[in-house]
Amino acid sequence: MRLDSPTGLRLASAQTLALTRRSVVSEWRQLGNVLPGLVFPLLLAAVYTHQFERVILLPGFPAVDSFLDFVLPASLLQSVSFGATEAGTELARDIENGFFDRLRASPCARLPLLMGRLGGAMAVAAAKGVLIVMVFLMFGAEIAGGPAATVVVVAAAVLIVLAIGGLGQVLAILTGNQEAVNATFPLVFTSIFMSSAFFPTTLMSGWFRQVAEANPVTWIIDPVRRLILEGWSWSDVGQALGVPLVLSVITVTMAVVALDRRLGAT
Amino acid sequence: MTARTLGLGHAGSVVSAICGRGMRRIGARPTLIMPVLLMPLIFVISFTGAFGSLTRVEGYGTDNVFNWMAVYAALQGAVFAGVGGASATADDLENGFFDRLLLTPGSRVPILVGTVAYSALRSMIPTTGVLFVSALGGLSLAGGPLALLTVYVATCGMAAVFCLVGLTVVYRFRTMRSMILVQVFGFSSMFLSTGQVPIHFLNGWLHAVARVNPITNVLRFARQGFLGDITWSLTWPGLVALGGMGLVSGALSLRQLKRLAA
Repeated sequence: MRLDSPTGLRLASAQTLALTRRSVVSEWRQLGNVLPGLVFPLLLAAVYTHQFERVILLPGFPAVDSFLDFVLPASLLQSVSFGATEAGTELARDIENGFFDRLRASPCARLPLLMGRLGGAMAVAAAKGVLIVMVFLMFGAEIAGGPAATVVVVAAAVLIVLAIGGLGQVLAILTGNQEAVNATFPLVFTSIFMSSAFFPTTLMSGWFRQVAEANPVTWIIDPVRRLILEGWSWSDVGQALGVPLVLSVITVTMAVVALDRRLGAT
Repeated sequence: MTARTLGLGHAGSVVSAICGRGMRRIGARPTLIMPVLLMPLIFVISFTGAFGSLTRVEGYGTDNVFNWMAVYAALQGAVFAGVGGASATADDLENGFFDRLLLTPGSRVPILVGTVAYSALRSMIPTTGVLFVSALGGLSLAGGPLALLTVYVATCGMAAVFCLVGLTVVYRFRTMRSMILVQVFGFSSMFLSTGQVPIHFLNGWLHAVARVNPITNVLRFARQGFLGDITWSLTWPGLVALGGMGLVSGALSLRQLKRLAA
């Protein structure tokens, strides 16, 4: 099927939507898999808010009323990252159980095979993001940038899921193994902790500070945090959305290339 | 032939066989131990790196953050090791091996004790890893070599406790998926204590919870040798907390095992 004709594009969109819907329904049926991604970040935020109250007085710490405001982007990122590899895990499961081969045998374009699952992961991430922000607002957090900044904050989280999901799909296509895809979770988890997610890099030292400053997670967290703490700024919006967008383009392109190679090889 | 006639010697050999089987499984598939080893190492590196400036806050209790965080990371590793031991039983239940174990003559208790011993033994791997990395970061042994002993006692104890908690759940639900519940419980219990900061840093409900959380006493017991001298006043509450948690989780898991075997 050709994607460069209007009919082909319409069909591909319909196929992507159908696979996205399947992915969301699959998540909905396994709420037990979604809950840790909500409970852990909220618990961590609650604990950190009550244990780091003295820390916000340290020279070099951004001016905040409460640690809750500071930790919001970290909790959001942590929450969505829990399900971010799901797009890859689902693809690996489909490869393992043969569903992927049945899809290949059907008149389905290649891109929807990837984008369908990524769409599902992004939809779940958006729902989680809205929920996390609402809980934070309920407990007194404030977003200085207003409702528009809130949308940007959630959109950045969704784009991060696209980037991580693309990476998961690359691994799924290359290995066809769920365990291999799941192995990316510690990598994501470590990337969050070795960034400015929970503490400002200005208060870190040595090699850890250098790693944190070079970590793309920091490049996303910092502008998102400024939107929350300081207010609306177009440059922060650009950075908060641009960095995960570039990462997404890279990982999704890698996934498409890997899929082309896999299909070409068989 | 009854359990009584088989005697203590037989029980000992069952414990040793189950414990040895677990350790051989690690030898055959080293990937099994990787998450248990890697997670606490990631914790100790991340927490000390990210929260290093906590030592600049008055009253933190040490000027080297490794002295505070190493024990916390080691205990987290022990919790993972304990849950992992119970997960091995979940695997045995799912693939039918546990049913074959239950068909063997003799008491069921050594099966449980063997799994707990395996968990305690395997917890020494992440503990050693965390202490090694922390030593590179300047961990001080203010309390002398006894400081190391307290950490190993605490981590083995915590691995045993969380293995028993895991076994209680796994004997009840008989699935690997149920272990997520224990992971959540273990992870949360550790966070609701004095893992990262002293108790006087905590405020509100967290302070109240940490005060009654027995893990706070285990942390004090295990950490004392890195902050100063080892004292009996910090030792006995930790041992009592470990003993109490072990007794309660042991009784619960034994009850579920008897139900499963009935």
